[in-house]
Amino acid sequence: MRQQYAVRSLFLVFCFALVGLGILAQMIRIQNSEQASIFLSQGDLYAGAFSTFYPERGEIYDRNGYLLAGNRTVYEVGVSLADVRDAESVAYILGTYLGLTYEETLNKITDSPKAWQYVVIQDYVDAGVVAALQQLIQQMKDVDDNRLSGIAFKPHYQRSYPENSLASNVLGFVTRDGRGYFGIEEKYNDLLAGNPVQVWVPNDPNKATEIPRVPNGTTLVLTINRDLQARVEAILDDALVEYGAGNGAIVVMNPKNGEILAMATTPRMDLNNYSAYFSLYNDGSQYNPSIGTAYEPGSVMKILTMAAALDAGAVTPQTTYVDTGSIQVGGITIRNWNRDAWGQQDMTGCLQHSLNVCMAWISTQMGPQAFYGYMERFGLGHRTGVDLADEAMGRLKTPGDSDWYNVDLGTNAFGQGVTVTPLQMLMAASAFANDGKMVTPHILYSMLRDGHQYNVPSQYGGSPISAQTAQTLNDMLANSLEAEASGALLPGYRLAGKTGTAQIPTEYGYDPSSTNVSFIGWGPVDDPQFMIYVWLQQPTSSIWSSDTAAPTFAKVAEQTVILLDLPPDNVRLTLSSR
Amino acid sequence: MQAQATQIVHAYKQAPWRVQRQYVGAFLLFVIAASMIAALYLSVTAQAAVTGREIQELRVEITGIQRANADLETQLADLTSTAVMEQRALQLGYRPVKPGELEYLAVPGFVAPEPGILLEAQDVPEFEQIIPAEYTQSLLEWLDERIRLGGGQ
Repeated sequence: MRQQYAVRSLFLVFCFALVGLGILAQMIRIQNSEQASIFLSQGDLYAGAFSTFYPERGEIYDRNGYLLAGNRTVYEVGVSLADVRDAESVAYILGTYLGLTYEETLNKITDSPKAWQYVVIQDYVDAGVVAALQQLIQQMKDVDDNRLSGIAFKPHYQRSYPENSLASNVLGFVTRDGRGYFGIEEKYNDLLAGNPVQVWVPNDPNKATEIPRVPNGTTLVLTINRDLQARVEAILDDALVEYGAGNGAIVVMNPKNGEILAMATTPRMDLNNYSAYFSLYNDGSQYNPSIGTAYEPGSVMKILTMAAALDAGAVTPQTTYVDTGSIQVGGITIRNWNRDAWGQQDMTGCLQHSLNVCMAWISTQMGPQAFYGYMERFGLGHRTGVDLADEAMGRLKTPGDSDWYNVDLGTNAFGQGVTVTPLQMLMAASAFANDGKMVTPHILYSMLRDGHQYNVPSQYGGSPISAQTAQTLNDMLANSLEAEASGALLPGYRLAGKTGTAQIPTEYGYDPSSTNVSFIGWGPVDDPQFMIYVWLQQPTSSIWSSDTAAPTFAKVAEQTVILLDLPPDNVRLTLSSR
Repeated sequence: MQAQATQIVHAYKQAPWRVQRQYVGAFLLFVIAASMIAALYLSVTAQAAVTGREIQELRVEITGIQRANADLETQLADLTSTAVMEQRALQLGYRPVKPGELEYLAVPGFVAPEPGILLEAQDVPEFEQIIPAEYTQSLLEWLDERIRLGGGQ
């Protein structure tokens, strides 16, 4: 009996062992079959996904910490097709809230390819709209109404400009693809955008992997003073209306270190609606004329000519010249702005009365080699190197160029036949306010990344003239401004400056009816803290700079001394003497 | 001597229940050990799973907070923009100041403020250790670590 049980037991053991071995063999066979790799790869598809972690784009602040460009959350609204219970209800609600037609929305949901799991209905939806939608969905869920199931929201950042059009020419803008255009946004796009990181994220929580921290883009602090920028923009807008000018630009710079405090141009655009770009500008050079548009500046160039002549020893402030009202240079007759003869003048008088003939005489006295040598050292014909995108170079024709003629030596001396940007003139003139040393204009004050701040040092752009020449020219310009009783004067502050009225070249020669008016000035003369350049295009109330650009300069200077806390000269000297 | 050995063998063979008990004991010991290891493994993997899920949720929460921060910062900037502030000032009866209306006072030792550091400076490592080792190492790795540490922490 016992032996019979033993045989049965052995038989059962054998059977189970056989089945076990069979299962084992089958497992090994399946694991190593050709299909196994396919199954494994299919399984991997659902094991996780590569996720790209985009850093938050760096913010942009003004020098006092006011946000000029930030980020806000917007949503991509879509539909998870597998979860849709009632496509008509979803289409109706989404169409209503997102401003789409019912048919359009329904077609997106019902006509999408079968392989699609998810369809985007609308992107960049405002957070307020999404909040209202989410509230409605939740209310329906609370009463077990799932007709809106399947609606999904994916948040992401969108660039936001709290000041709208303020400093739009400086900031530039970011399109929906995340790329910066113009200004700071383009120049520092790589820094602001940061580095996206792609990581494999498993769905299995057991395999929670360590995700590298994705540092935000670098935050930038600009040298711009927001309040001054706003005031300067308002003054420019008023000036365009008051003087009937087409467009204009005003730049305020610290001549000691090249920091741009304000840079106003027209037209400006609301950066939160960058599609307006195409209706406002014909080409990129118009976006920021302060750096992008080179023009013949006219008599403001005379300060460079006079500085070059003083520095070269060709003239002194006391040198006299008898102005007969015309001079021949290269076979062409050059006349004064009013075609009058001004008689005997010293060099201060030449500046005060802005005499073209005198300036042409000075440049011919210097000779082309010395004159153009100085102009090149002043940076004309070269980019300033300002940290903004799309800077124009301007044009300084020099002897040897195919389009240079002898008369250019005379006309260039008073700013015709040579083109510059307002910023080039500021950089060149910074030598007068800075003991002969030019500064490179810049707009980036510092960078902030990972809690560290990197301040941008000031850079010098060469020393075209001596400190003594700079001082002499400062006095000459300040004296001439006071003697002229210029509209650019600011009571209580001694300023130096020069007007510029330039004819505008056309295909058929110079336009006799319209001008570009400019003014460059700085102060206080004994310790310059600001330098201002005003450019108004084709004013109609008067073609003269003294009537238009000069009073505009005074208004800007008035706001500048207030916002920079610069007391009047007598107060400052009294305070500093204590 | 030989006889003694034979006697011991016989005595041993005379108690077959001892043999069975040894087998049963060994088997039970194996089962208990296996159960303990399995329970430990299950406990660790369950904790890892729960913590992994918590980490995922925390990541979502962190992202949400960062977004909320960015939104609040932008909202604050909207509310304090130049246009809004100017409008509010005018509504309150203020007007732009003229240069002659300003009075300057000498404050001994006062230095005009320069733009300073705007954000709190803090050293942040390039890659943060987000998940503790306890939640990423396998049971064998944990045992290996225990053995290498000699059982102490």
